[in-house]
Amino acid sequence: MKKNSFYLLFGFIAIVLVALFWYSDEIHTSLLIEVAFIAAAAVLYLARRKVTDLVEDERSAKITEQAAMRTLQVFWVVFCAFSIGAVMQILHVPSFPRQAPPVPPPMILPIRSMGFIQLGLLCLMIFLYVGFRIYYARKYGEWETDEE
Amino acid sequence: MPGSTGNGKPMKNRIKVFRAMHDLTQEDLAKAIGVTRQTILAIEKGKYVPSLDLAFKITRHFNVTIEEIFLYDAGTSTVDID
Repeated sequence: MKKNSFYLLFGFIAIVLVALFWYSDEIHTSLLIEVAFIAAAAVLYLARRKVTDLVEDERSAKITEQAAMRTLQVFWVVFCAFSIGAVMQILHVPSFPRQAPPVPPPMILPIRSMGFIQLGLLCLMIFLYVGFRIYYARKYGEWETDEE
Repeated sequence: MPGSTGNGKPMKNRIKVFRAMHDLTQEDLAKAIGVTRQTILAIEKGKYVPSLDLAFKITRHFNVTIEEIFLYDAGTSTVDID
């Protein structure tokens, strides 16, 4: 498979996923889009392995590795901070008795907003990865020009 | 630093010279050893230090020893042993 065919397939699958997302919402079944998303990821993974005109060498592997590692390093801190806050809200962490005014009960995040927060974190992860990838690609001479 | 030996000094190489001697373009060499042209360019410019595997592939392609192409500056690399 050629690189351009893979990109076309990627676009087609993305459109199908958007349509399935809409349909899942219509029939109120989230399982459909969940299964479809996993299947789409599997298909794209297999198709990616069939691409013949895409040369990946140790330098590009190193760029990917470094970007992924840095993304993970930053993301786990953000994720951990958010998780600690969420756990505090759920567990009703007691305040010290010295505090005179009664503390109002903590507001527990509704389950619906958790989905949006997760999406936000996912977007953050994607932005971090793209940013780090650009940084390391520059560092390892991806866009260097030569006199040749 | 990607193109460094670990002690801050860049690893130098003479790939460009050998390419010129063998009348090869970066693309030709890249295809011959199975990497991208950008990788050859990055190595030549000292932006990226190749792995031993890739270094041996390059030197074997030119039929020379590794020291003839890759110049390791060990002058500042010292290890303190108590």
